[in-house]
Amino acid sequence: MSGPDEGLIASVERSLTKLVDFVRFVGLALRVQFTRVPPRDVFITQFVDAGWGSLALLTMLTAFAGLNLSVQSYASFERFGGQDLLGMFAGVGGVRELYPVMAAVVCGARIGANLAASLANMRISEQIEALEVMAVDPLDYLISPRLWAVTLALPLLCGYADVVGIAASYAGAVYQLDLDAGSFMTQIQEQVGLVDIGAGMLKGLIMGWLVAVIACFHGYSVSKRDGADGVGISTNLAIVHGAVTCIVVNLFLSWLIYG
Amino acid sequence: MSAPKQRDDTPAVVLENVSKSFGSHTVLDGVNLTIPRGTICVMLGPSGTGKSVLLRCLVGLLRPDTGRVLVFGENVAELDEKRARDRDRLFAVRRRFGMLFQDGALFDDMSVFDNVAFPMRLHTKMREDEIREKVRDRLARVGVAHAEDKFPSELSGGMRKRVAFARAIAIDPDIVLCDEPSSGLDPVMSATLDELILELHRTLGMTFIIISHDTAEARMVAQYIGMLANGKLVTFGPADQVFAENHPALEQFFTRQTVGPIKVV
Repeated sequence: MSGPDEGLIASVERSLTKLVDFVRFVGLALRVQFTRVPPRDVFITQFVDAGWGSLALLTMLTAFAGLNLSVQSYASFERFGGQDLLGMFAGVGGVRELYPVMAAVVCGARIGANLAASLANMRISEQIEALEVMAVDPLDYLISPRLWAVTLALPLLCGYADVVGIAASYAGAVYQLDLDAGSFMTQIQEQVGLVDIGAGMLKGLIMGWLVAVIACFHGYSVSKRDGADGVGISTNLAIVHGAVTCIVVNLFLSWLIYG
Repeated sequence: MSAPKQRDDTPAVVLENVSKSFGSHTVLDGVNLTIPRGTICVMLGPSGTGKSVLLRCLVGLLRPDTGRVLVFGENVAELDEKRARDRDRLFAVRRRFGMLFQDGALFDDMSVFDNVAFPMRLHTKMREDEIREKVRDRLARVGVAHAEDKFPSELSGGMRKRVAFARAIAIDPDIVLCDEPSSGLDPVMSATLDELILELHRTLGMTFIIISHDTAEARMVAQYIGMLANGKLVTFGPADQVFAENHPALEQFFTRQTVGPIKVV
């Protein structure tokens, strides 16, 4: 019986060690992010990749999600004659919750996978070591610009997702469900304030940083002997941990903001 | 073309009683050696005997458990990268090195030109036109001038090594470290790289420390030879002297014998 117990203990020990490593990494990441200026070229490249590179995916997803929000809510509200509330539901539900989470989870998965895979690949091909030998701190050169890029790109993506999602909900409500355009827009204007949009973007800011730091940790902590497997595993972990963290953190942020 | 560096008596590298273990496995066991400036030193030894660990100790990527690692008099072994004060000193030492990694370690997202220009942009105040001129000089020296716009993924193994070489010598480092420069290359390409090392040593006067298990390479380029086996430096000195002594481990290595002081693990 000692075998499985030992296996369990070893597994817990590994997890705890990883957690301690992550906390240390977060400390280092915060220090380099806020005490040193990131290299401009790397920041711009990463920002464009995170932001511009996610637009097509985000447009498609939020457009369909916005349409679906209209269709689903119409089916529910119709039962008690509350179709006019569709604008409010699509606006509030989308801007406060759905679009920020979608942007963070979906774009976060895409961006996080890119970050983790590229850093892990740099690690196993000794590119990070090459930087160190050239007297370049990899945390300054690689991690700091990536953290800034994703942290700043994700709130913008959240704002963009709001616009696309509401436009899609409007299109669904007005052109497919024959609801009154004026009523839909009035509901949106009355119920969705700048505070809601700002809160969604704040969520994007926080979740963007979390997605980035988780992905950077998984990619950066791969060792050369992990090889190609290490790249795959770190990418996988970056996506899974990033998505789960976003969902959980979103709940706490909603409690804090609206609770 | 840069003038050869002025020679003086300060050794480029001195290792004093350097030991390094990973867990219970001792990789370096009391290594002592002195590598004079402006020489080509080849460290031989079977795989897994700590040759690469030795290189990493020189640039402070690894800290030995005991002993001193003096690079131009600075004890790298006592510098802790996590301490800001030590970090600046360590980085100052590292700027005196160029390193050719076993697989090149070229930056995938940069062109050949940008790879070679990278240390210049980072550590010098050169203008872009000066950088362009120097990068082209370095690429021409290693025979890949035609590939400056290509990306590492478009290059053959030999070309990647040569570009990595150009990057290693980009800012005229005092010491060039080469980790298995001939591994994965055909004999002709290996010989070409060795000639390149000799040519660069002749014209730029740099100190070369080459980690290798290629005996032909050692015979061709070495002025100093060291042999690591089972974690110990079994022989070290001027190449002529070491070859004349013909230490049993060196003989076993050069004659490809399976029986001898080098234990096959």
